[in-house]
Amino acid sequence: MGAVCPLALLAAGTEATIADVRAGKGMRLRLAGLGLCPDARVRVQCADRGSLIVSVGDARYALSRGIAMKILVKEAA
Amino acid sequence: MTGIRVALAGNPNVGKTTLFNALTGSRQHVGNWPGVTVEKKTGRINRSGHAIEVIDLPGTYSLTACSADEVVARDYILEERPDVVVQVVDATNLERNLYLTTQIAELGVPVVIALNMADAAEAGGCAIDRERLSALLAIPVVRTVGIRGEGLDDLLDAAVREAETPPHHEHTVGYRNDVEAMIASLVGVLEADKDLAERYPLRWLAARLLEGDENALAKVRESPVSPRVQALLSTIDPDECEAAMADRRYDVIAAVLPQVRTAGARGMNVSEMVDRVVTDRYLGIPIFLALMWGTFELTFAVAAPFVALIEAGLARLSAAVAGSIGPAWLASLVGDGIIGGVGSVLVFVPNIFILFLILSFLEDTGYLARAAFIMDRLMYAIGLPGKAFIPMLIGFGCNVPGIMAARTIEGERDRLITILVNPFISCSARLPVYILFAGAFFGAAAGVVVFLLYVLGIAAAIGSAKLFRHTILPGESSPFIMEMPPYRLPTAGTSLLHTWSRGVMYVRKAGTIILAGALVLWCLASFPFGVEYGSSASLAGALGHLLEPLVAPLGFDWKIAVALLFGFVAKEVVVGSLGVLYGAGEEGDALSTAFLADPGLSAATALALMVFVLLYTPCLATIATIRKETGSWKWAGFSVAYGLVLAWLLALIVGRIAPSFIGGA
Amino acid sequence: MNNMVQGVFGAVLGALYAVFGTLQIVAALTGPAVPFVPASLFGGFVLLVIGAVLLTGVRNLARGLDDGIGFVNVGTLLSVAFGAVTLLAAGAGALEAAIAGEAWSVADALTPAVYLAVIGAAGFLAWCRAFFRGLATA
Repeated sequence: MGAVCPLALLAAGTEATIADVRAGKGMRLRLAGLGLCPDARVRVQCADRGSLIVSVGDARYALSRGIAMKILVKEAA
Repeated sequence: MTGIRVALAGNPNVGKTTLFNALTGSRQHVGNWPGVTVEKKTGRINRSGHAIEVIDLPGTYSLTACSADEVVARDYILEERPDVVVQVVDATNLERNLYLTTQIAELGVPVVIALNMADAAEAGGCAIDRERLSALLAIPVVRTVGIRGEGLDDLLDAAVREAETPPHHEHTVGYRNDVEAMIASLVGVLEADKDLAERYPLRWLAARLLEGDENALAKVRESPVSPRVQALLSTIDPDECEAAMADRRYDVIAAVLPQVRTAGARGMNVSEMVDRVVTDRYLGIPIFLALMWGTFELTFAVAAPFVALIEAGLARLSAAVAGSIGPAWLASLVGDGIIGGVGSVLVFVPNIFILFLILSFLEDTGYLARAAFIMDRLMYAIGLPGKAFIPMLIGFGCNVPGIMAARTIEGERDRLITILVNPFISCSARLPVYILFAGAFFGAAAGVVVFLLYVLGIAAAIGSAKLFRHTILPGESSPFIMEMPPYRLPTAGTSLLHTWSRGVMYVRKAGTIILAGALVLWCLASFPFGVEYGSSASLAGALGHLLEPLVAPLGFDWKIAVALLFGFVAKEVVVGSLGVLYGAGEEGDALSTAFLADPGLSAATALALMVFVLLYTPCLATIATIRKETGSWKWAGFSVAYGLVLAWLLALIVGRIAPSFIGGA
Repeated sequence: MNNMVQGVFGAVLGALYAVFGTLQIVAALTGPAVPFVPASLFGGFVLLVIGAVLLTGVRNLARGLDDGIGFVNVGTLLSVAFGAVTLLAAGAGALEAAIAGEAWSVADALTPAVYLAVIGAAGFLAWCRAFFRGLATA
């Protein structure tokens, strides 16, 4: 089990488990609707100067750096 | 015969609209990216003695009412109480789709699941046990393939059956014990208010109150039980409750999924590899530009022979009219007014169709969503979320749907800025003006000139957005989250249908607004009686001379002034008006020839005119849409004034500096 | 092994695109056009982009990165796509000339975007169909 770090800092191709979402209530609810909530497994597909594309389950999302910094993840062992 | 209302709900981009079209035989715009449907649409069908009304709701990930389209969907289900909600579920993406199911079920309406894109899931080696899913959720599940129209009959039967069965089961998620206890006591309090109890499912309302949902809090604020509700709520932490409830929903789904789905072997992830390429740090934007350039190249080159054919046809028609109609004034009305005005717009139908065809092809493949991602960096730099790029892209077709698409943007200020800069995105109505002038004055370089105009439009939008962000609408842009749809090879049918419906809209406009504009203009150009048609002695001439001083610094004469005035109705009218004023309706190339023969028109003036047309006052339909979407005339008026000033200034600059680049002229 | 062959193919095709793209831009900026290489700023830009995608793929393959093959495949797809675009545009030009009764020669259609795309199409048929089939079902 790796240390906890923001999703935005992961390199492309890394898999991780979401540990915590440090965002306002509305954003947290929205992210939950997308499947981005604690214990979900995410995979970073593209990471590029801030924005990144992650996959959760069968869905892919583009996230801006701002949000990706608020999602804390544990890197998969 | 009984009436049944069926609402189609579901996540964005799961094929709701495709299914809606298949069910009702209508032709709504379908695209391969989230948020194409922003307003609910209604269609009617008759089936085995039932008049069924189908309502296509905007796609939502959840029903928490964070953005305008989520509110539309949620309020419809809550306030209008459809007889049954059909949730369209993307079979390739069950987990997230079922999250919405848990929320819809909580609203206390009968639900039927349409397991859509089932073919794609099966092709990916992923089998879903429908019966088991149905049993576990206590919701009927029907297999559908929207694009091929499979499973529609079963779906309608299931919907009718559900609608007619009195509600007999509560298929809601059970929350943690303490949460459930809280919900129970809240429901107990809320029951005292008969009015609320009648309007809303109390369990749903209680759950939302626990989550601290603003919308729900507002609903009980006026109620007599409000103080007791507040007292109860003050004992809990809404954030904690909300997290616990979301967790529980996913727990339920996680328990269901392994029982119903046998996941196929995941092959090498090609989609991911393609994403890496088209969103590459250095190559992403060049690839996008190259594709856009190719689009415009095709739009012009491929349409050219068809344009030539239409021109030849119109020339014959005109000649026939001139020869066979008796009174000179009637011949002039039909020849100069109708054929000249409407014909000069119809000539561009091939260009419009091809542009739409290519854009819808790129959209359907899923590439445009990636383009939005690439642009996020750029958009972030100007202080808008990357999502704001989508309304802009739609704006290339027409600004009206572009402005409506801004509803998917959450922040109110972000939304306003996106709306206000949309008119600068060059819509298809402006294309005829460019084609005409660029073709007449720039010959082989026409494609490049038009491309640069589009770039200028984008630059004006970006510059204005930055300006607004720093002046009238300050603030941070809200963060960007967008689903990347899977890549698909578009079927010829959907692309063509999409192109057809938009193209037809253009032709219809030519037959109505533009026809009317051309007729009014013909009258202005012909009266008072006896003047030479379209001369400066006519009413049109008088009007033009009145406006001329305003546009004289730009090098425009009175004819252009009149055309621009009429362009306010719809920008294609500029071309039709010039056709009337130059009296050049009879022959195909006549208008271009007339321009070249006019000493007042140089290449530089033509460029200034194109810039002016690109930026000035949006058309009537766009203004009406801005008014509707912003809810105030203030912003609509602002948009008109700002556009005029910007157009005037930039046209002046371009008119002055262009001669040094294009060799005097 | 297959990657190796495709890498060499990508390197050759990418280099060709880069050279012809540069030639087209130089021709557009300086004047006289070389036969079969029309002067075109934007046309040259497109060729350069395709070349860059292919060469990036080759570089990544050489470094042993797994996404290199994706670049080569997408580059090949772009090559075919822009070849088709240019060919379509040329065909329309021929049709227009026929309608207007003007002269038109096949040489007008033979631009680098077209004849390089012939090589691209061969590569596409050899490898990319399988690659992109994976996309539809992914």
